[in-house]
Amino acid sequence: MATLPPASTGPADAGVKGITTQNGVWRVTTRKLPILKAEPIDKLSDELGIPIPEMIFGDNFVSISHVKTGWNLSFSAPEALDRVSKTEEGMLQVAVADEWKKTREGQEEVKQVVKPFDWSYSTDYKGRTEKGKADGNWTETNQEKDPIRNDLLTRQDPILFFDAVDLYEDELADNGIALLSIKVRVMPERMLLLSRFFLRLDGVVLRLRDTRVYIEHATNKVIRQYTAKEEKYEVVQEKLKAKRENATEAMRDANRVAPLLRTLEDRTEVFEVD
Amino acid sequence: MSDLDKSIAQLKACRPIPEKDVRELCYKARELLIEEGNVVSVDAPVTICGDIHGQFHDLMELFRVGGPCPDTAYLFMGDFVDRGFYSLESFLLLLCLKVRYPDRITLIRGNHESRQITTVYGFYDECMRKYGSANVWRYCCEVFDYLALGALVMGAATDLQPTDTSTADGNSQATMPSDSDDIEIEILNSAGQVLSRFSRARQNNSQDQSQAPNPSSSPSQQTPQRNGAPGTGASASSRGSSGNPGGAVLCVHGGLSPLIDTLDKIRLLDRKQEVPHEGAMCDLLWSDPDEIDGWGLSPRGAGFLFGADIVKCFNHKNDLSLICRAHQLVMEGFKEMFDSSIVTVWSAPNYCYRCGNVAAILELGEDGSNAGYAPRANGDMNRSNGILAERQELRMGPGRRYRVFEAAPQDSRGMPAKKPVADYFL
Repeated sequence: MATLPPASTGPADAGVKGITTQNGVWRVTTRKLPILKAEPIDKLSDELGIPIPEMIFGDNFVSISHVKTGWNLSFSAPEALDRVSKTEEGMLQVAVADEWKKTREGQEEVKQVVKPFDWSYSTDYKGRTEKGKADGNWTETNQEKDPIRNDLLTRQDPILFFDAVDLYEDELADNGIALLSIKVRVMPERMLLLSRFFLRLDGVVLRLRDTRVYIEHATNKVIRQYTAKEEKYEVVQEKLKAKRENATEAMRDANRVAPLLRTLEDRTEVFEVD
Repeated sequence: MSDLDKSIAQLKACRPIPEKDVRELCYKARELLIEEGNVVSVDAPVTICGDIHGQFHDLMELFRVGGPCPDTAYLFMGDFVDRGFYSLESFLLLLCLKVRYPDRITLIRGNHESRQITTVYGFYDECMRKYGSANVWRYCCEVFDYLALGALVMGAATDLQPTDTSTADGNSQATMPSDSDDIEIEILNSAGQVLSRFSRARQNNSQDQSQAPNPSSSPSQQTPQRNGAPGTGASASSRGSSGNPGGAVLCVHGGLSPLIDTLDKIRLLDRKQEVPHEGAMCDLLWSDPDEIDGWGLSPRGAGFLFGADIVKCFNHKNDLSLICRAHQLVMEGFKEMFDSSIVTVWSAPNYCYRCGNVAAILELGEDGSNAGYAPRANGDMNRSNGILAERQELRMGPGRRYRVFEAAPQDSRGMPAKKPVADYFL
């Protein structure tokens, strides 16, 4: 990224770090700052048309750039939130909602549901692509043809750059957690980025939406895999109990939950930058 | 040194006390709390605090900034536990102080003071880890059931006595209201320096104010639509006759309930139970103010939202000048809404050790004309009076001094800063 996006307060380079790969082809940049203040929150809420999650790291971002062409793939909270449903469509209800409604019937003073939207902040965000001087497009492929090489990624190669960047989190009024966070690691020959949306709605559902970005530095090929997984809360709970694990504890950890969820969507795309 | 003082010293060093001491402490605390009404009466001066969430070192910072208990009287609005690493030490210290100085500290219940919530959000696991059994967690939960649901602060001064300190930037004194003006709001940093000061009377004073250079920890500075302090609803429209004692201040963790139109209805609840999933008691601990008309149902399917009209009506009917609540994270540490009829106070800086927010506590001064004594025990004084409904004027709010502070310095924590550890994630 040639120029940093402005921060809501202070200099644009505060909280920024990054690395350029040894061959000079790729650059990774991250920025980590505190949650937004009241005024930028109100502004963002107006722009997006939905209430903003309780913890909003609106100045944070992670970006991967192709140095020569200026091609760029970046991840930030405002764009991720723009992909959250702003209508009743797909709206979940907390576990006690039915019980709640029954006991509140006949209370006329209470008006309808305020501003329906997907308050679980579920997003299918895959990052924003800016082409710079590069040609081409994302094209559909598959893991056979363009695999993310887990065999190479599990090797204990030195990690030259690592960061974990939260974009937003909401405690769902203590009904669980919704968290969008990003991890990125750069090794001598390759890099991996994982953007993960994790939702646990207690008593209702668990949901994961992962975007993985994989690059072999020697190539100009960016592989992006999007995986959506989901399972009913009680099903996951039963599976964990069957394995004699502490379900409450396990369900705080997306990594432990991931293998227990059903895959709803799994697609791989590739962008050849040149 | 009494056993209690010993426990206090040990907890102040962030070391848990033995299980048998916890049992005895909780027993004494219950005996004390059972005597309190659902709405505790508290005399000003008092310092009001919001969520703590087990951030023990930041609680120590709060006491450093606000002054030690019992020298300063404190009112904590719940959510002592969960999320942070030291829920146990934080809650037990507050409880020790309550038993040791019952008239100098008031604890009311937050939505996290519940069996169900603490099982999910950390306190239960922490007790298991530190004691190897659930006993201590169980003792604490029994205390939770006896915590009051609200507090009523009486005799708060309408104007602040200005603090005798320098300003944070050294040279903005000229833009501050002079000491003879009626000061409605004062915002101080953790060193006790004035960040900004807002008088009740003059139209343009505070406008000049907001252009004074402020440290980054102060609330944001562009609020063109108002004359008042950024992050506050203070405005020149507040009526300015001085010396007129304000109404009482209601403190509650979450907010109002459609089932509660008078304070007496809170007093009539049976509070000694686990927080229910629905009903008035639940609402008081869970609801949030929002920019809506009337009452709204949260899109989550449970939980109420309430608008400015609801707050203003309630305050008017109950002769309140302000509702003080916690429950919601605010980056600036406090947030006034609805023409300063309600304020959110948040006292957990750098929440969850990573939000980077500042925290605040709210000091209410003592009104000179206050007769002094208000009964603490059960306070059923039938304040809701039909005649009051005839009056149109809203009560002038109390003078409010916010002390804003940041997370305790890293070296006071005895543990390394939380840096992301490089891992071979896939």
